[in-house]
Amino acid sequence: MKESQLRLLMFLQDLLSLKKEMQDFQVVEQYEQMGFALDKKERIEESIREVTEQLDPVLYHRFLRIAEKYDRPMAPVKNGVCYGCFVSAPTGSKLVTEHQDVIEFCNHCGRILYRID
Amino acid sequence: MELKELFNNTNVNLNLKATDKDAVLLELINLLKLDEKAKDMLFKMLKKRENLGSTGIGKGFAIPHCRSLVVDKLNVAFGRHCEGLDFKSIDGKPANFFFLIVAPPIEISNYYLPVLGKVAQFCKIQDIGAKLKEIKEIPEFLKLLEDIPN
Ligand SMILES: [Zn+2]
Repeated sequence: MKESQLRLLMFLQDLLSLKKEMQDFQVVEQYEQMGFALDKKERIEESIREVTEQLDPVLYHRFLRIAEKYDRPMAPVKNGVCYGCFVSAPTGSKLVTEHQDVIEFCNHCGRILYRID
Repeated sequence: MELKELFNNTNVNLNLKATDKDAVLLELINLLKLDEKAKDMLFKMLKKRENLGSTGIGKGFAIPHCRSLVVDKLNVAFGRHCEGLDFKSIDGKPANFFFLIVAPPIEISNYYLPVLGKVAQFCKIQDIGAKLKEIKEIPEFLKLLEDIPN
């Protein structure tokens, strides 16, 4: 079964935030003081590549464009509110991927929307 | 945020049944109230984190942790595996005690690293492993968290 494009995007964003965290010298130092081994940081890049290869190119391109503007290109929707910009009724703009997934974007801020219920 | 405020009857399992690392992660994730898709995504993310270096910090303790979009607040769980199993820990010894910590990418309160630090500190308390092995019921575990010095 093909992985949902939205879930891949969410995974990608989590990986990117992990990568960012691992580039923060102070955070890494904190981790090491707590006793965690961080010996294979280069593996994050591999994982990011694996995920991006499975993404629809048009969608991925759009993700990158949004990422230029915001730290987090994705935002949760709760009770009809985009938690990226806090404007209500955010849905409207949609993109259908080559995998037939429908990805929704916030009409106000343009972030990719997902729901956690 | 104190550790005792984070744990309760529903996110502690003193009898993990898993026989390998992946199964432990899944059992811990099951203690969180998430839907199946979220659980699956969280599992993948925790695995990716383990791939960077084991979160088995030795002396029988492991603290699998990550940030993930699938949660909207800090989530924790504790599991005990009486026999212990291989978690690729730093000291090469089996792990018996597992703290799972998952936080959203951004939290207003920023509990993630402080909580992680408190858990790591808890794991370093002298003889804490022996005490954790002896407890029989969840309230005893909660009491142990309450007793730790800040
Ligand atoms: Zn928005």
